Amino acid sequence: MFRNNYDNDAVTFSPQGRIFQVEYAQEAVKQGSVVVGLVNKTHSVLVGLKRNAEELSSYQKKIIEVDSHMGIAIAGLASDARVVSNFMKQQSLSSRMTYGRPIPVDRIVTQIADRAQTNTQQYGKRPYGVGLLVAGVDEAGPHLFEFQPSGMIHEMLACAIGARSQMARTYLERHLDEIESSSRDELITHGLRALKETLSQDKELTVDNTSVGVVGLAGEGAKGKIESFKLYEGQQLLPLLETVEQQDSGETKEGEGMEVDS
Amino acid sequence: MTSIGTGYDLSNSVFSPDGRNFQVEYAVKAVENGGTAIGIRCKDGVVLAVEKIITSKLLKPGANKRIATVDRHVGIVSAGLVPDGRHFVSRARDEASSWRGVYKGPIPVSALSNRLGSYVQAYTLYSSVRPFGVTAIVGGWDSEAELAVDGQVGTGPNAGSGGKVEGAKAGGPGLYMIEPSGLYWGYYGAATGKGRQAAKAELEKLDLGSENLSLLDAVKEAARIIYVAHEDSKDKEFELEMSWISSLDGPTKGRHEEVPKELLEEAEKAAKRALEGEDEEEDEGTKSNEGERMQE
Amino acid sequence: MNHFPELWGRPRDDVYGPYNSSYLKSTGPKTHTQSPAVTGTSVVAVKFNGGVAIAADNLASYGSLSRFTDVKRLRVFGESAVVGFSGDVSDMQYIDRLLESIDIRENYSTHGNLLNAKNLHTYLSKVFYKRRSDFNPLWNHILVAGFDGDKKPFLSSADLLGTTYSGPHLATGFGAHLAVPILRRLFPEEKPIEEITKEDAVSALRECLKVLWYRDARSLDKYSIAIITEDGVELNEDQKLEEQSWAFAESIKGYGAQVV
Repeated sequence: MFRNNYDNDAVTFSPQGRIFQVEYAQEAVKQGSVVVGLVNKTHSVLVGLKRNAEELSSYQKKIIEVDSHMGIAIAGLASDARVVSNFMKQQSLSSRMTYGRPIPVDRIVTQIADRAQTNTQQYGKRPYGVGLLVAGVDEAGPHLFEFQPSGMIHEMLACAIGARSQMARTYLERHLDEIESSSRDELITHGLRALKETLSQDKELTVDNTSVGVVGLAGEGAKGKIESFKLYEGQQLLPLLETVEQQDSGETKEGEGMEVDS
Repeated sequence: MTSIGTGYDLSNSVFSPDGRNFQVEYAVKAVENGGTAIGIRCKDGVVLAVEKIITSKLLKPGANKRIATVDRHVGIVSAGLVPDGRHFVSRARDEASSWRGVYKGPIPVSALSNRLGSYVQAYTLYSSVRPFGVTAIVGGWDSEAELAVDGQVGTGPNAGSGGKVEGAKAGGPGLYMIEPSGLYWGYYGAATGKGRQAAKAELEKLDLGSENLSLLDAVKEAARIIYVAHEDSKDKEFELEMSWISSLDGPTKGRHEEVPKELLEEAEKAAKRALEGEDEEEDEGTKSNEGERMQE
Repeated sequence: MNHFPELWGRPRDDVYGPYNSSYLKSTGPKTHTQSPAVTGTSVVAVKFNGGVAIAADNLASYGSLSRFTDVKRLRVFGESAVVGFSGDVSDMQYIDRLLESIDIRENYSTHGNLLNAKNLHTYLSKVFYKRRSDFNPLWNHILVAGFDGDKKPFLSSADLLGTTYSGPHLATGFGAHLAVPILRRLFPEEKPIEEITKEDAVSALRECLKVLWYRDARSLDKYSIAIITEDGVELNEDQKLEEQSWAFAESIKGYGAQVV
């Protein structure tokens, strides 16, 4: 039987100029549960679907605060994500220490991407098996970046990675204009609705399986220039999920409210 | 492909019996699928341009820059695997900065290209690494002004420094292209990536060797050439990114900068007009449906 | 005859006593970096409504010798920050190169997020502290002038020990003793910065430089001045204190060989 000989390590090109090990690593991202990210003119939002290994186990963390102006959402190998996020935390702290400023988002994203690239060009290393969405604010405003194990990074208006994320992307593409001009709260709702699109028939968004992260520029009258990264989990999610529910029932017919018990 | 199944193409740094390093040739394949990148060298500056295929509507327009600044006076654009391109640029920045550390002045474009050529070549020598999946175009301007003595705190003597020849020409434009093998040449006009054949044909028509083209015209030509090169993959949308480096008395004062928005838009408009005038009878959709998105 | 060449030409031990070579110790750590060689004197700076003005004379002294008389001790960083150096001139040149490499690094990406004067001051103070902790100090006292993250005028000092402080007007070197009292009188604490005009600030600096020229022996009447506003940095490096005169010195009594 034919065997692909070009996929044993990350330092071998296939005759077409592809690196299979890197492509396989991208598959690991697709195995992870979905995360969605989106920006408007003032805020950057991350939304994630948490999975639990079994009924009685806890849910896997999907969104991590890196610094007060930045957070990440992960899809793929959580242990790799921890390595990357620890590095990001160190770099953020070091920037605050040496320059007294929060690290610019594109700068730190490029740093992790450069590390990821190294893992694709040296024998004995493997590419990271995790994809990230990085949401943050800096002097240039709110940002959302997508990071891939290949070391590819893209600044996005909206993005979704992980299992069944295509549905979310379709939703985001369809609502791109609304998202751009939305308010902070509408942005979160769009994120949750995009996430909802990816669910299979028997699943629902609950306070247990959902995670929301928000960071942005501070509104008028607020002290400080930024609204620090805030993670919404558990009961804090109730009003957010209710808004989604109201919108959906408004669109179809007024059904019974979603069960949000755990 | 004759290389497949021979076993000589499975590792870098291995010669086949007829003296080829297949892994390097495969790396070139990665470049050949990347978005077209070009550079034009003229008497008063250098222009770099790249075609960025828009892979998703969700990408932020105008962000995701692909032309990098290396030192004040040098820029690099590359085609192929984008992360490898960043690695290449990061090395270039280190070289430029270490040159300053030793020689207390900006690195000449020729010297930078030489060092990068050596660096890339080293990645063809060992089985523990793979070659760079990029072909990079390095453009820059070597200052024609006399360099201040490092750390010059005063004005110094009024006479020139030792060995100075009155009226001697110094500095000027530099344009080099470095391939995955480490091979590099200096160019008047360089092209790489998917549309390189069409781009090369257009560059040759410009007669750059006679140095009659002005920098401003080169900006417009560069835009047009990217548009021409894009004809083969017309079904995909793209974004044009351009940067330039002029002489010290030119618009960028010897610095590598993005081409200003107004000029870029003007050049794109002219490029579109030029294309509409032409006959567009090509139906060769070279489609490759690779799942990965490392090259753009 | 003595057959040991290393002993030739030495003062005779029997006449002058044995040579005390204790201070020529060849062992132990290097200490020459712990004292300056060629130095610049005071830097003075004042915040005003909408910016900062900073000035320093153009002299570099070698001990008490006026060694270089056209030295520029104000260095511009980026669009709107200026660093004024006193202390060792070669260390200043080192820091200048450091600043240049940072400037290049900061400009790799083009959009926003550039270091402001406050960031720069934080960084330089860490550099000073690191070096002094290595017993290899950068022998300078600097003032950093420009704007902070909120676009407000910024003025802070950092010295060879890594000590930092800030204020509406600052001075280094002799200026800390001679110029600061003048500035405090001109701009008392209760007077808000918003009431100080650019012209007030500049003439105050000039006044300080005059006093320094008369009273600090390692100073010069040629100076540089930089004015930092929202519009950028306006730097003049070939200024002169006009019509200064030592004629009055003749009438001073009580010093030297005067008889009457």
